Amino acid sequence: MKPKKLLVIVPLLLAFSMVYGQDSTQTETNMKLLSGVPGNTKLLLTGVAWFGFQAILNDKVKTDVTMNFNSYGFSPMFLWKLSDKLFFESEIEINNGAIELEFAKLSCVLNRYMTIGAGRMLTPFGAYGERWEPVHIERFPNAHLRPDDNLLPDDTHLYWGAIMGVDIRGCLPLGSSKLNYALYVSNGPLLSKDENGHPTGVIQYENLLDENNNNKEVGGRIGLLPFSNSSLEIGFSAKHGIAGDRGDSVYGKIGATAYAVDLSYVKSIDAIKSTINFRGQFNTVMVDKANYYLTDSTTYTFDNNMQNYFVQFSIRPSMVRSKFLKKTELLFRYNSLTSPKDALWGAKDKNGKGGTITRMDLGLCYWLSWKTGLRLAYETTAMPDGTHKNEFLASLVYGF
Amino acid sequence: MKKLTLLSIALVAGIGAAILIIGCVTSKTVTAKSGMQLWGENCIRCHNAPSSGDYSNAQWETIGMHMKLRANLTDVETNKIVEFLKSSN
Ligand code: HEC
Repeated sequence: MKPKKLLVIVPLLLAFSMVYGQDSTQTETNMKLLSGVPGNTKLLLTGVAWFGFQAILNDKVKTDVTMNFNSYGFSPMFLWKLSDKLFFESEIEINNGAIELEFAKLSCVLNRYMTIGAGRMLTPFGAYGERWEPVHIERFPNAHLRPDDNLLPDDTHLYWGAIMGVDIRGCLPLGSSKLNYALYVSNGPLLSKDENGHPTGVIQYENLLDENNNNKEVGGRIGLLPFSNSSLEIGFSAKHGIAGDRGDSVYGKIGATAYAVDLSYVKSIDAIKSTINFRGQFNTVMVDKANYYLTDSTTYTFDNNMQNYFVQFSIRPSMVRSKFLKKTELLFRYNSLTSPKDALWGAKDKNGKGGTITRMDLGLCYWLSWKTGLRLAYETTAMPDGTHKNEFLASLVYGF
Repeated sequence: MKKLTLLSIALVAGIGAAILIIGCVTSKTVTAKSGMQLWGENCIRCHNAPSSGDYSNAQWETIGMHMKLRANLTDVETNKIVEFLKSSN
């Protein structure tokens, strides 16, 4: 690892352990003082469970399964407020039977404007991964169109999932506006390989134990809330890491840089007795140029850039009298994913060139509590070769 | 990479400077707002706003800290909102 990077990581870890050290002494004293007082436990166990159904509406192949209860899961979340300065959060996700520790992060408040965190944490890149992905927050039965292994040879986790690292974050009041930030150092990305062990050019970001090199990724997000009512937030994110294998003469230095811009606008408007919610995120990843294998002996190269975005609008007549209507939210979402034009992978148009997949989603969410709801959606996907897929989706999400 | 390093340094320096300049000065508008108003404006931004009765007072303290960290809320607004939620329980 470069000494420059050590200069960043070591002080961060040192600062973390020092404040933790001081605070654990304080915690011990507090514990002793409070041990006689009932009801001081600051553990909160919450969670969410889900159950989904999918019907493909235009599949003409008679042998295909087109209707299915296709997903189930449960995610308990453990939150401990250890003292006024220390906080631990962890979530276990059991999705279609597979168990995973989603995150386990210890945070330590340094001052009003800065908190340092360490562990396995949700990616502070874009707003989606940290804020909008949790299943009780996502209002559609499924996620938006993402660069994942449904469409690419590998899962990119470009802006969702977890990282292993250290972050600093906080929020600064600037007059009637606010600025928030999250900056991190983490294990870096990985250049994904095909079955012959040749890199494909797809970048995998959820490389938790950094099995490929010593390079550490740096990244973060800055959020701006210009209005005093906090209705609008615009976020800018960037990250950079080396994705190739250590010591590999061809791919060892291949770096990947990603950017994201996110926006959310949420407002309850008396005149229409409704709450409107607009959100979206644009993401792009740029990978240094390299030669990739066509066969074991021939190689080719391509501009390895990918773009993906979604915009979503919803309206909920939360202030009307009707009990039914005030629990109903109508949703619209537009999604787009453009893979590199000349890559071997990704969706292709009729001429074999990489193209753009778009998807239009119409949805309805009926809320039974702030965290529990029934979601329905009709989604139509247009592939670059002109084919379409129409689906009906439903899910029941119950939060507690 | 050079550009990104410069950008990171500029960002860190910018935030550092802002922290120093702001010191203990808090936004007047936020200071003037009640906990209830801040709850109505902030807690609906990512998910539906839970009501005070959804959790106990001790739980609100844990949630307040969680949201302050996860949602990057300011100290002042988080404290006001938690106090409001606890007082209306
Ligand atoms: C910027 C987005 C954002 C804002 C603003 C926000 N929350 Fe959250 N909240 C989240 C996310 C994301 C989760 C889910 C955490 C998870 O499951 O990983 C959550 C979860 C919760 C939970 C479930 C328990 C927990 O702590 O996870 C409660 C209760 C909650 N929020 C209350 C609030 C309150 C009260 C406010 C207003 C002060 C608020 N939230 C503002 C994003 C936000």
